[in-house]
Amino acid sequence: MNDKKLQAKDFITIGIFTALLFVVEFACGILGFIHPYIVASYVVLIPIVGSIPMMLFYTKIEKFGMLTIMSVLVAIIMFVTGMGYLGAPFIIAAGVIADLIARSGRYKSFKKTIISYGVFCLWICANYFPVVITANSYRKNLIEGGYSAEYCDNLFRAINSKTIAVLLILCFVFGCVGAYVGKAVVKKHFEKAGIV
Amino acid sequence: MSLKLDPRTKLYMIFVVSAVVMMSATTPFLWAVRISMTMIPILLLIIEKHYAAAFRFLILYAAALIVSFRFLSENSKGFLSAFLVGYCSIIVQFMPAMITAWYVVRTTKIGEFVCAMQKMHIPDGITISLAVVMRFFPTIKEEYTAIRDAMKMRGIMLGGGDAAGIIEYRMIPLLFSCVNIGDELSAAAVTRGLGGKVKRTSVQVLKMSVADYLLMLLFTAALAVFVVFKYIK
Amino acid sequence: MMQTIAKIDNVTHKYKGAAENSLDGVSLTIHKGETILLCGASGSGKTSVIRLLNGLIPHYYHGDMTGYVTVNGHDIAKTQLYELAGIVGTVFQNPRSQFFSVDTDGEIVFGPENIGLEPKEINARKEIIAEQMKLDKLLGRSLFELSGGEKQRIACASVAALLPEIILLDEPSSNLDMQAVSMLHDIICEWKKQGKTIIISEHRLWYLKDIADRVIYMDKGRIVREWSGNDFAELSEEETKQMKLRPTNINERYLALLSGNDESGSRHTDVSDGIILREFYFSYNHKPCLLRRKIFTAADGDDLSLCIPKLTIPKGKVTAVIGSNGTGKSTFLRCICGLEKDCTGVIISKGKEYRKRQRIGFSYMVMQDVNHQLFTDSVEKEVLLSMKEKDIIRCHEILDTLGLLEYKGTHPMALSGGQKQRVAIASAIAAGAELLLFDEPTSGLDYAHMEKVGELLRQLADSGSTVLVSTHDPEFIELCCDHTLRIKKGRVDSLD
Repeated sequence: MNDKKLQAKDFITIGIFTALLFVVEFACGILGFIHPYIVASYVVLIPIVGSIPMMLFYTKIEKFGMLTIMSVLVAIIMFVTGMGYLGAPFIIAAGVIADLIARSGRYKSFKKTIISYGVFCLWICANYFPVVITANSYRKNLIEGGYSAEYCDNLFRAINSKTIAVLLILCFVFGCVGAYVGKAVVKKHFEKAGIV
Repeated sequence: MSLKLDPRTKLYMIFVVSAVVMMSATTPFLWAVRISMTMIPILLLIIEKHYAAAFRFLILYAAALIVSFRFLSENSKGFLSAFLVGYCSIIVQFMPAMITAWYVVRTTKIGEFVCAMQKMHIPDGITISLAVVMRFFPTIKEEYTAIRDAMKMRGIMLGGGDAAGIIEYRMIPLLFSCVNIGDELSAAAVTRGLGGKVKRTSVQVLKMSVADYLLMLLFTAALAVFVVFKYIK
Repeated sequence: MMQTIAKIDNVTHKYKGAAENSLDGVSLTIHKGETILLCGASGSGKTSVIRLLNGLIPHYYHGDMTGYVTVNGHDIAKTQLYELAGIVGTVFQNPRSQFFSVDTDGEIVFGPENIGLEPKEINARKEIIAEQMKLDKLLGRSLFELSGGEKQRIACASVAALLPEIILLDEPSSNLDMQAVSMLHDIICEWKKQGKTIIISEHRLWYLKDIADRVIYMDKGRIVREWSGNDFAELSEEETKQMKLRPTNINERYLALLSGNDESGSRHTDVSDGIILREFYFSYNHKPCLLRRKIFTAADGDDLSLCIPKLTIPKGKVTAVIGSNGTGKSTFLRCICGLEKDCTGVIISKGKEYRKRQRIGFSYMVMQDVNHQLFTDSVEKEVLLSMKEKDIIRCHEILDTLGLLEYKGTHPMALSGGQKQRVAIASAIAAGAELLLFDEPTSGLDYAHMEKVGELLRQLADSGSTVLVSTHDPEFIELCCDHTLRIKKGRVDSLD
């Protein structure tokens, strides 16, 4: 039996945790309906709340491919729910890199797990890609149409290509913070209950 | 009458619409193309008898269109109007993708979708995981409802005086349940042959019909027109 | 001479991380076409035997194992699980967690698709099986809207679609009501007629006594006794009790009562001292109402899922709530404890009235799946969480009476099923509820545990609490209930 390769059981586990991750994303996403600007706070909420299932997930499979496949699933679901495909290569890249980092620590090293989760969290920024890209061309169109630059800035202050850099960094930072939170919860509950 | 489209056509529709929503319309002609493209999924929804949804989307889209056109044309200032315009223009921008996605999610069976993915030569591992994701959304909902009931009875809906509890008390039982269900599900699935070396088959019959080809053609044409008129002309 | 189809040869097994052996030198020869019933307490190794035969031990549940298992000529240790798919089929205990698809058709064809059969062949099999098992009403539906019994039938169909020679059932009736159990009985009979080899591990014995050819009794990982089916059916109640088995014969009166064929008509015993429920009306079919929620009244008549103008529940007693699934037992309990907030109704006790949200404080429900009800990381905190004023001394008292004091620092999820249930009961006592509701607390329990739950409910009632318990187990009613309350279509059918 080849223990290195993912098996049917592992694919099921990946599916379950992807579903859980999306439930977290949707729950946070509802807040975004209040106003699009709140969407910016995803970079704090999702890494931290999502860390609880994710840290459990890290302990469950410990084989290469677990994060890669998860990122592919995330990309597919994002595409099908109309959130665009521009982010897909980015999401999958984040997944593969996160997977490689975790593998270099054999999925046991907590330090590597922190960085790996931080990188994995960058997928959240793919939510913003369509907005950023349209916002840029939108602003150009508005200015060409004779509107004041001040008005446009007001409208799109929160969304432009500079903020995306900031958001990426925030995602990574809060991902790392989240890893600590998630690890603490896993210790408090799952290790104590003896299921990890 | 019911129009059964191939999932691949639907995926293609999402692809085209997602591309178009990322290019903003600048001329009345481009707006016309955009709006007519949005009408197609709404029409499809009506054909599939999702009247209420079609109606709701139509009203929302129309309202957002009107608001953003009127206010933008008057060069409005002030916080509230900027807020409103920002809101509406985002709706106008992304609504078409949302409507299409809603249509696809509502009218596609998971079996069909998985079969379409198999036909597109996506590895079994990914299709298995994806099928589990879809099966688990309703399961999570069931489990969560039960947990919320238990929380109500204990009077800890707001965390029982502990802010972190709001998330912890929801998340922990949910994770325990899901891990348990997952273990039992995996055991049941492997005893029924999941994970074998043979290529999985599927009883779903997927065939591209005339309507599929027509729609694909239509969407390709719309995309081409949009790109040509925006960037080349 | 009968042909041997499977053989377990001197197997000893220990789960990874476990302290004791789950199986201890078990040997068993199974003949083709035989129906074997495995019985014994929880943890006696019944489930492990099933797992040996379907290969989950050693391929899925890891651990230390010695001995050999061969099934239909395959050495299990050297056979991959998917190779066994067409030979051994397994129906598991929990109907909620064993299906893979979201719709019934997809589930039936799941196995054949996995082993790569031609779509034509799969569809043909599906039709034959749907006809054999009378599934026409269940085809084309979402699995999430089916009842537990219906889900279990689909699970059986899904296993049968692979045409296995050997069918294993691991406590298949645990979550089923009387009607569903008799459906299950029919399915097993059909398989027996087809000449399949069937092995059933089960706590409820009465429905299997006419099916089993051979009965095997296990204790602490060993096979202790063996009977022929006929000898087993004739065991007296004392004998089964001694072995901590549930009875093989059920009092006919309870059978009739539970299956809803009771012809004796409705009886209403007058209760003088009790908790009075008044004007409990509720419906799941909301008619959309603008502006405000509709308030249900008796005038809504047949639309009501629950309609109880007045009912007196005997105080300080244990009352069993019975009726088949889908007749409103759960709705009844949920409404009393205030979980359905649209339900009207007043609870009157000692002259005090409890309405709406107050009902939550007055009553407390211990749910069927206690896993949903445990939130914290230690038993002690779990109980304290229920108290408005944290009182550690009282908390320890409660834990002590339930025999949980030694586990006060343990994570509730690390406990056994029965202990978890007691933790949930402890939090109910701590919450100070007068009316305690139990939703099927004995489903899937063995006799010893059922007895314990029964004693506990008696204790609660004797110390002044009023207990309502919904159940499908006639053995349990006989054991500890003072009254039975039958619900039919959301109405009180009888109370005696």
